Amino acid sequence: MTDPYQDDAIEGRIQFGFLARLWPFVRPYRRGFAGCLGLLAASFVLELLGPWLLRHAIDGPMRAPDADRGDRLRELAWYGAGFLAVTVGGALLGYAYGLLTAWNGQRVIRDVRRHLFDHLLGVGLSFHERNPAGKLTTRVTSDVENLNELIATGVLQSVFDLLKIGGVLVVLFFLDLPLALFTVATTPVVIAISVLFRRNAQRAYRAVRGRLALQNAYTTELIGGVRTTRAYGKETAVLQRYAERNQATTAAWLDTVLHFSVFFSLVDLALRATTIGLLWFGGTAVLAGTLQPGQFVQFWLYYALLTAPVRELGEKYNVLQAAFASAERVFHLLDAPRFPPPDGRRRPSPRRGAARVEFDRVGFAYDPATPVLHEVSFQAEPGQTIAIVGPTGAGKTTLLALLARLRDVTAGAVRLDGDDVRELDLASLRARIAFVAQDLFLFTGTVLDNVRLFDPTIDEARVWTALETVGAADFVRRLPQGLRAPVEERGSTFSQGERQLLAFARALVTEPDVLVLDEATASIDSESEARLQQALRVALRGRTALVVAHRLSTVRDADRILVMEQGRIVESGSHTELVARRGAYARMLAKAAADA
Amino acid sequence: MLRPLSWHRSIARAFGRPAALLRRHLGLVFVGMFFVPVHAAVSLWMPRLLGDALDHLQAGGPVEVLERTCWLLLVLALLESGSRYVSRKTLIDASRLVERQLKQDLVAHLQRLPIAWFDRSRSGDLHSRLTQDVELVRFVMGPLLLHGGSTLCLLPAGGWLMASMDVPVTLAAVAVFGVLFAGMRVLMPRLHRWSKKSQEAIGEISQRAQEDFAGIRVVQQFGIVDRERAAMATRNRRYLLANLRLVRLRSLLHAMSHSTSGVVMLGVLLVGGHQVVDGALTVGQLFQFTGYLALLTLPLEILGWTLATMPRAYAAGIRIEELFEVAPEPGSGDAPPLSGGLRVQGLSFTYPGGDRPALRDVSFALAPGQKLGLAGPVGSGKSTLLALLMRFYDPPRGTVFVDGHDVLDLRPSALRALFALAPQEPFLFSDTVAANVGFAGAEPAVGLDAAVAAAALDQDLPQFRDGLQTIVGERGVTLSGGQRQRVSLARALLSERPGLLLDDTLSAVDPLTERRILGGLERQRRGRTLLVASHRLSVLADADQILVLDQGRVVEQGDHRRLMALGGLYAQAFRRQHEAAALESLPEAGS
Repeated sequence: MTDPYQDDAIEGRIQFGFLARLWPFVRPYRRGFAGCLGLLAASFVLELLGPWLLRHAIDGPMRAPDADRGDRLRELAWYGAGFLAVTVGGALLGYAYGLLTAWNGQRVIRDVRRHLFDHLLGVGLSFHERNPAGKLTTRVTSDVENLNELIATGVLQSVFDLLKIGGVLVVLFFLDLPLALFTVATTPVVIAISVLFRRNAQRAYRAVRGRLALQNAYTTELIGGVRTTRAYGKETAVLQRYAERNQATTAAWLDTVLHFSVFFSLVDLALRATTIGLLWFGGTAVLAGTLQPGQFVQFWLYYALLTAPVRELGEKYNVLQAAFASAERVFHLLDAPRFPPPDGRRRPSPRRGAARVEFDRVGFAYDPATPVLHEVSFQAEPGQTIAIVGPTGAGKTTLLALLARLRDVTAGAVRLDGDDVRELDLASLRARIAFVAQDLFLFTGTVLDNVRLFDPTIDEARVWTALETVGAADFVRRLPQGLRAPVEERGSTFSQGERQLLAFARALVTEPDVLVLDEATASIDSESEARLQQALRVALRGRTALVVAHRLSTVRDADRILVMEQGRIVESGSHTELVARRGAYARMLAKAAADA
Repeated sequence: MLRPLSWHRSIARAFGRPAALLRRHLGLVFVGMFFVPVHAAVSLWMPRLLGDALDHLQAGGPVEVLERTCWLLLVLALLESGSRYVSRKTLIDASRLVERQLKQDLVAHLQRLPIAWFDRSRSGDLHSRLTQDVELVRFVMGPLLLHGGSTLCLLPAGGWLMASMDVPVTLAAVAVFGVLFAGMRVLMPRLHRWSKKSQEAIGEISQRAQEDFAGIRVVQQFGIVDRERAAMATRNRRYLLANLRLVRLRSLLHAMSHSTSGVVMLGVLLVGGHQVVDGALTVGQLFQFTGYLALLTLPLEILGWTLATMPRAYAAGIRIEELFEVAPEPGSGDAPPLSGGLRVQGLSFTYPGGDRPALRDVSFALAPGQKLGLAGPVGSGKSTLLALLMRFYDPPRGTVFVDGHDVLDLRPSALRALFALAPQEPFLFSDTVAANVGFAGAEPAVGLDAAVAAAALDQDLPQFRDGLQTIVGERGVTLSGGQRQRVSLARALLSERPGLLLDDTLSAVDPLTERRILGGLERQRRGRTLLVASHRLSVLADADQILVLDQGRVVEQGDHRRLMALGGLYAQAFRRQHEAAALESLPEAGS
């Protein structure tokens, strides 16, 4: 048994291949992103201008005792205005950059999400059986969200940071060679300290996340399991287990506080030490007359531009790692093949009233070693009802899934009006077939939504007609909001019988040509039982139907009965024929009559 | 407006309990708070030194002064980092210790609250009080002391230092920062509102996706993929719009604070530069001034952040205290030896807050060792009856008696030690199969294998990766519904209680296995009282007494033979089920 959550453990290597796969989604917005890069470059230039202005203000008007006072003040005002323009311009550019990245990045994310969601609705049932809904939902929501980081942090910011570090270094070299050399010599040390401690701190953080997740999961459990705990009087034991987890989390937290305090202190200390070094080397140069004080201040301020990207280097790496892990998971899902495979050559299957259904030597296997269906052949003429009986595991439900191509045969063929269903257009095929499962799945929404399955082209009158036909109109009318009554948590507020009636209405509202039905086992709810029988009779009238039957009345009324065992049809014929044959079916009837 | 006294009282209500817990770590708090002003003082000294150094450079003084300044700066840098480290480590540690104790006390309290209270509360809400709310309160107990204390030191001292250098520029800077601060106060709530909207929007996406994946059969079979796609597009659009709005607000905030610093620098250059030109201020002093400005921006941001967080922390404190204020269920009462004789007499029961009675006038008696069957549609009251026997809820006085004692007089734990309940939707802990089966007993569990075999769980063991040591996943997700039910049954059997309450326990188990399990149970019952609620009437047929419930009322009562003879609800349903079972069976030829 493979662990369905296995791929959550993906660590996230930086693989540039994923960027290539992301490209088709980014492509429509490439101009916008190019604009983002342009804005970044422009704001970088502005950032460089600020210290330059300051230097000239210091070396110029502030230090020219011989010049005219009015001229000096006027010049100073110009520098001030320049500085203001630079900062306000920088702020505006930053604002524009924020909006433009979001405008484009969020659209890319939306497109990826749309594509992934679409893809997941189109992959086969067996894929969904292997992948729990909760996991797929996480992929569609938070993993797709993380892809944004791949673009924003991964490409744009990284490019910009590299540009910035490189650009500042070049400028520094132009300003003053010895000081620049000093910077180049010390920066790697600071980066090393930053990366080293960031890594330790990150490890400690990961420990916190892991333990906190455990503790929070246990919190959920002890709330959800409160009846169980109470029933067996295990309050103390539960409390003790919680205490262990709580203790472990706190210990991990204290550990991060240690690492983080050390990390912040040491990185700051290293940066401070470097600036003090700059002061020493720069100061001696100024005193020796080889450097102007303003130049020194400019150098100092440029150096400050370096500290932010250097400090955040470790952080960005982590964000990127997580983003790449998400990319891997998302693209892994996109690699799952669609089922049925998209194929443009298929013929439409127009509605034409009751259809003719033929199973021709059909075989099916999930795993070739253990076939589920074997050489199953039968025909249903238009309007006929085929009842299928047999023990659990005989392949009855699998057989029903083949007609609408929820699964595909592995041998033989299923034909609708003479056409192999695999050659028909999927949408028109499925539009002709309606399905009633034993346990109906209700969506959150209203009764109306659930009957017409969110199809606004089906008006309320048609919905009422369908409800009327199956005898569900009464109970819907009794609901406080009628058709608009809310359905919550998969319909837990409706009884099993009521849900069945809604399922019949849902199937009939589209006026299908073929009905596929897994009859619910009878519960004790007598009132809905009588209704269900009536609904069934109406539903089958004039339609071709395949029914896995659990009621004798259904079987008796069927045009043909298939008795299945271990994937094979062991008997088939009408009720009278099979009774006369005194075989398996007759024995079933005898058993049903016995001791009741 | 609240009167001062009640204001004071509600603050005490929100933070009194965590503050009392913090008092246990006074030593840490004292050491931490001592170093907060030390750090502030050192930070404020540095710009002065740098400014002096710059003036010194401009004046071209001796190199020894520069050397001395550099060494002093290095010492100060060490002191700055050291004091920061100590205060952070002590104060944050203390807050984490408070958090731990608060969570522990909360969980201990939860363990004693009545089940009826849990029914009324949403588990998501409870969970968020135990996690997010505690975290918010912790913020007040540590980070607030650290950052708030540091802000309280830096803002006035820095302001005073700046004012002592140049009053007009300081006032101008204060004014501009004031504008920024006001802007933040306006934008922050909006930011909060839109981030909530964005979260709601992604929540809707998540909920719809989850349902579509869970109901993928319906989605594919009815060909509604296109419609779902459209529905998702609407949700995606809403999310996109909320996010863009959020980004706009964030970028605006960012741009504001960025340009504010530009405006302040302009003021400094113009006014300060003017004085430099006039010789009233040196370039170094100007530099020193900007150093203070830079130092004060962070505390200002923290102040804004704190003001935004405090109301939330207060609300969180109140929510936590609300939990502590819920009265626990009584832990007292008689605990006589009980054998499990049951008498229920005219029992009517309405759930707290319910509008319709769940049970109406139910009466029956059951001797120890007898079997009672409960039949009836969903919502007819079967589970309610069993829950009342466990005293998950209090029945009216004088209606439910065990061995002649009114259950209201018995200690709840004594009553619960009498029965083991296996519900239709059992709760499994994300632990091993063995630990889940052995939940009720002491370790190591004696008779584990026998219980596993009796619940027919042994037939599944080969499918499990590590047999009984297999982890079942959250709520047992890796097991099938039937397997979960059988684990819960094995748990009940292993607990060796004199009475067994099976609440549709085997509904997801195939009929054949169910019959085998119940047959075995019957043979090894050894005088256990058995109460079985089931939709499969065949398993009730051998009960000493069967109650057929409908809308809380007993509509038919008697043993199988009597009910069949009656030809009512029970008899009709029994025949239908028998029929269905026959169609699902394939009797051997000649049997």
